[in-house]
Amino acid sequence: MFSFLFKKENQLNNLISNYLENLVKTQEHFVKAMDTCLDEGICGEFAFLIEQTHKFESKADDIRDEINYLMYSRALIPESREDVMNLIEQVEIIPRIFELILHLIRTQKIKIPDFVMSEMKDLIRMSVESCDLMIKQIDLMLKNRQGIRALMTTIDHNESHCDHIERSLMTKVFDSSLDPIHKIQLKELIIAMGEVSDQADRVSKRVNIMVLKRRV
Amino acid sequence: MLALLGGVFLGWSLGANDAANCFGSAVASRMVRFWTAAGLCAACVVLGALLEGQAGIETLKSLTQIDLEQAVVITVAAAVTVTIMTLFGLPVSTSQAAVGAILGIGFFNQEINVAGLGKVVACWFGTPVGAMLICMLLYKLLAAGYNRLTVSIFRADSLLRIGLIAAGCYASYALGANNVANATAVFVGAGMLTVFQAALIGGLSIAFGVLTYSRGVMETVGTKLVRLDPFSALVVVLAEGLTVHFYTLLGVPVSTSQAVVGAVLGIGILKGAATIKRKTLYGILVGWFLTPPVACFIAMCIYFAIHLEYVAR
Repeated sequence: MFSFLFKKENQLNNLISNYLENLVKTQEHFVKAMDTCLDEGICGEFAFLIEQTHKFESKADDIRDEINYLMYSRALIPESREDVMNLIEQVEIIPRIFELILHLIRTQKIKIPDFVMSEMKDLIRMSVESCDLMIKQIDLMLKNRQGIRALMTTIDHNESHCDHIERSLMTKVFDSSLDPIHKIQLKELIIAMGEVSDQADRVSKRVNIMVLKRRV
Repeated sequence: MLALLGGVFLGWSLGANDAANCFGSAVASRMVRFWTAAGLCAACVVLGALLEGQAGIETLKSLTQIDLEQAVVITVAAAVTVTIMTLFGLPVSTSQAAVGAILGIGFFNQEINVAGLGKVVACWFGTPVGAMLICMLLYKLLAAGYNRLTVSIFRADSLLRIGLIAAGCYASYALGANNVANATAVFVGAGMLTVFQAALIGGLSIAFGVLTYSRGVMETVGTKLVRLDPFSALVVVLAEGLTVHFYTLLGVPVSTSQAVVGAVLGIGILKGAATIKRKTLYGILVGWFLTPPVACFIAMCIYFAIHLEYVAR
C-alpha cells in the first residue's frame, strides 16, 4: 500500500542485486578462463573468456554509475550513501583483479609449470570461495539478517590460508630452476591472485563495520 | 493596518530563523528538498497557529493592559532586540524579546500580571531542561525499537527519513501554535484584532518568513544538527516538538532554539560526547539572560521617546 514511499530504495536494492549477480558472472568467467589456461594453456577459448570477463566487468561499472546517480537523487540517508558508495568501490576492485590476472597471462604469455599447478588451483578455489562468501555477506547485510560476523570469520580464515598458499608458491617458484624472467612473471601472477582473497577480506570487514555503525 | 507591520516583521523573522529548528537537519543533509520542507513547514505553522495558538495569545495579552500605540511599540522593540542580538551573533528567543518588551510597557503602565509573568519565566527555565529529559527518554525508547527492526537497511533508511519529515512537520505545528503569540498577541490586548485574526495573521507572517528567507539558515544552522547521526537528529526534532507543544498547552510561548539546544545536550549526555561547543553554549546562555532586559529597555526607550514634548521658552 505504501510502496510508493520506498520506490527509490527498492530500485537501489534491485540495482545492487544486479551488481552482485554481475559480479558472480564475472567470477564464473574468470574461473572458466583460469581452468582453460591451466588445462590447455593460452588458446582461442581462453581469449574468448577474457573478453567475456571484460564485458561483465564493464557492465559492473555501468551499474555502479546508476547506483551513484540514484543515491544522490535523495535515496537513502547521507551516511548510508557514503557507506554504500565506498563498499561498491571496494567490491569493484575484485573484478579488476580478475581482469588483471587474465591479461597478465595473455600479454606476458605466462606458462604455469606443473609443480605449482595444484597449489595454483587451490589458491583460485579459495579466493573464489571468499568472494562467494563476501557476496553472501553483503546480501545478508542488505536484508538486515544475522550471520554477518560468522561469515567475516570464515573469510578471514580463508584469507590466512590463501596467504599460506601464496608463500608456499613463491618458495617453490624461487627454489626451482626456471628462467629468472619466468620466475618474476610467476611472482607477479601469484601476488595478483593472492590479492583477491585479501580484498574480499577487506570488504567483509567493512560490511561488519557498516552493520555495527547502524546500531543506535 | 500599518500598526500591524511590527508584528508581521516579528513573525517573518521568527519564521526565517526558527524553521531551521524543524527541518534544518533534513534539508542540510539533502534528505528533503528545501521547497518541500519549506512548504510543509509553512502549512504546519499556519495550522498550528489556527488550531492551538489561542492559549499563548491569551497569556501574553494578559501580562499587562495595553493600547494600540503600546502594542506597536512592543512589536517594534521586540523586532529591534532580535535584530541587535542577531547582529552580535547571539542566539535570540523571539518569545523572550516579546515578553521583555511587554514588561517594559508594563513598567510604564505600573501594571504587571506577576503570576502570569512567573509562569512564563518558569517555563523559560523548563524549556531546555524539559527538552533534554524528553530527548533522553525518547532516545532510549526509539533506539530499542529501531535496533529490533527486521526490515532491510534501505527500508530502515526510508523509515528514518519519513520519521524526520513527520517530526519536522510536528515541530513546525508546535512552532506555529506556540510562537504565533509573539507576533500578534499584543494587538489582541490592544483590542485591534480578535484571537482568530491574530492567529491567522501571525501564522501567515511566520509562514511567509519560512518561505522567503529560511533557506540560508536551514542550510547553515542545520549543519549543527547534522553533526549528529540521522537517528539522533530525528529524536532531537521530535523532543523539540513535544517540549514546545507541551508549553503550548500551558499557554506559554517558549523558544524552539532553546528546546533544540536542550535536546542536543541530552544526546551528548547519553552518548558521553560534547555535542555543543563550550563557546556556543556560552553564547546561548548570554543570549538567554540578555534578551528580556534588552527588549524591556528598548521598549521603555521607544515609548519614552515618542512621548517627549518640545517646550519652547
